[in-house]
Amino acid sequence: MNDELKIVLFLCNWSPHAAYQTLQDTLAPLPVEIRMIRIPCSGRITKSLLFKAFETGADGVVLLGCEAGACRYGIGTRVAQRNIGDTRGILDLLGLGEERLGFASFNPDQHLELLAYLTAFRNKIEELGKTPVVPASRAKEVALSAGSAASISAAHNVYVCQDCGKCSSACPVALSGKEFSPRAIANAVATGDLDSPVIREDIWSCLTCGLCYDRCPSAVSFPEFIKDMRCATPANGKFNAHEGFFHSLMRAMTSPGLPVEHWKWLPSDIQTDTNSKILFFGGCAPYFDTFFKNHLGISTSDILVDALRLMNFFDIRPAILQNERCCGHDLLWSGDRENFIKLARLNVELISAMGTQELVTACPECYRAFSRDYPENGIKTGFKVTHIFELAEAEIGKGAVGFTKLNRKITYQDPCRLSRTQAGCELPRGLLKRLKVADFTEMRDRGASSLCCGNCAWTGCDSYSKAMQVNRLRQARETGANLLVTACPKCQIHLRCAMEDPFLENEIRMEMIDLTSILAKTIQWEG
Amino acid sequence: MRKEILITGLGGQGIVLAGQVLGMAACLADHLETSFTQSYGPEARGGACSAQLIISDKPIHYPYVREADILVCMSQGGYEKYRPMLKDEGTLIIDQDMVRSGEAVPGDVFSVPATRMAEELGRKMMANIVMLGFVTSVTSAVSLEGMLSSVADSVPKGTEKTNIAAFNKGYDLGQAMLKARMKKAAARH
Repeated sequence: MNDELKIVLFLCNWSPHAAYQTLQDTLAPLPVEIRMIRIPCSGRITKSLLFKAFETGADGVVLLGCEAGACRYGIGTRVAQRNIGDTRGILDLLGLGEERLGFASFNPDQHLELLAYLTAFRNKIEELGKTPVVPASRAKEVALSAGSAASISAAHNVYVCQDCGKCSSACPVALSGKEFSPRAIANAVATGDLDSPVIREDIWSCLTCGLCYDRCPSAVSFPEFIKDMRCATPANGKFNAHEGFFHSLMRAMTSPGLPVEHWKWLPSDIQTDTNSKILFFGGCAPYFDTFFKNHLGISTSDILVDALRLMNFFDIRPAILQNERCCGHDLLWSGDRENFIKLARLNVELISAMGTQELVTACPECYRAFSRDYPENGIKTGFKVTHIFELAEAEIGKGAVGFTKLNRKITYQDPCRLSRTQAGCELPRGLLKRLKVADFTEMRDRGASSLCCGNCAWTGCDSYSKAMQVNRLRQARETGANLLVTACPKCQIHLRCAMEDPFLENEIRMEMIDLTSILAKTIQWEG
Repeated sequence: MRKEILITGLGGQGIVLAGQVLGMAACLADHLETSFTQSYGPEARGGACSAQLIISDKPIHYPYVREADILVCMSQGGYEKYRPMLKDEGTLIIDQDMVRSGEAVPGDVFSVPATRMAEELGRKMMANIVMLGFVTSVTSAVSLEGMLSSVADSVPKGTEKTNIAAFNKGYDLGQAMLKARMKKAAARH
């Protein structure tokens, strides 16, 4: 029965269900491939639930609701339309095809139309064939064993903790008011109290930003410790933000047969060359923009376009990987090492097949993943990994390049994944100082001591994350700047989310732009 | 092919050494006829001094520069004294922090922060080598390979690496400037 089509039907309890019942009562020939799930309202089926069906192997998904004016709860159909639109955008980027996701509304008396619709949908799915997604294994919830806790603690020096508390006094999560302490976690592990909430829950609140590691006099490698702890005791997605949508997305991408179309939206003036030994690896920005389209109105794909423009400016025409997938950073850092390794192997295989000698990226997480997390997990890349800032600094350093005036006062948000890799805090600052802006003022917490954008690996987002973001935006406004420069799409997403607060809007709202974009927009030849 | 090159600057800037390096590259590596003369006398104690080179694929009958194809100025005095010797379409290269020119010169003018770049590299006295890198880059007088071996052979032992780095810095700047001019010209059309 394995090659039988699987079609999931989310059926609203109200109008369409009445029609469906008529079909059942009259023994109408409903397609056998359709598995019906009764739901209270089409608006309650989130993007994450829609996509999860595809991630776990559905060949088609249908969401049926009431007519827009007939929704019992008022806005259900409208919400469903938005969710369907966004999810179709994601399916499109993944190469699954948006026609695999059906959406329609029926009145209770339209049972014949409903039958015709379902039959037609089934036939269309048959025509499209089986889904290329191979359901990835999901890590089961596992209790932490004493043995693995001991070996993880030993590997990251947790036993040398002096209990001094410098970590907790620096930790952005603790400072945001949350009852959270890296020291307490270290203590609990050292004393073997493995079932305490301090371990079961708090390891998912850590931002893994690494500030505690900077401050620790005993060099306890806390972020790495948290990463391994999460992998050793997966929480079944309990702490995932956005209902685990992005984790689903990444797991779906581990399927080798997925005909991803990562770049089809790219403007036609960008010059690329399939034979180039330099590959530009974009990252997940197109997915972010699609997912958050109706909420935050961000445009992080601009970073990718501007990075390519910057390379074109220096006459570099890089190759791009049409079926580029996620680097897997967030899978690893949210405790799913198995699928991370699967995805990483697939990436390296695809990239190596292109003959790539150097991979350039503008995303700090991709940069960290390829340059550190891959080798540390036994995956040899065989190509050099370069951040776009390193490339820009080397090219600008040759001379004859200047910048046009930008009449804005700027300040800079350090992304944790960039400031704690070999790129460091100085590289972006060197570039910032080259710009001809009206003013560049640093925030109170800056460089290695920067406050985090509030979230990492789509894990553990709560009201404290929000408090942290608001605090950060207040610091940014305090500098008198009117443009907040960042260097990571996630910083933009998370800080923009905090700005949506209707009560604080005027106090913390600020325009944001990626440093890559400023460079690409104001660079010019001189001399 | 015949190029007359005039390098001027202050005594102590390594003007004569620069000329010698250039000449050695032309004759030993590129196998061209080369003549090299240097100003001698009170200049060598701090006034304007000069190195004169002729590089040619035919025998050279007169060793002094009469009309320079390339004039490199690393001091104001040198610039003022030797500026009239440059051909109308000649290439003028000046150290932008040492020479104030401001005139509209026909042909090519390149303004190079050689001294500043050498300072950034940690040794001001390498300004001449930075300049040589630039000259190699923007003129076709000598080959890059010849210059690299000539620089390595001529500088004091133990400083080859830093001098080659300085040379490359100048060379890269030259390449970038040529590219910038090309791009700007393309943008105008």
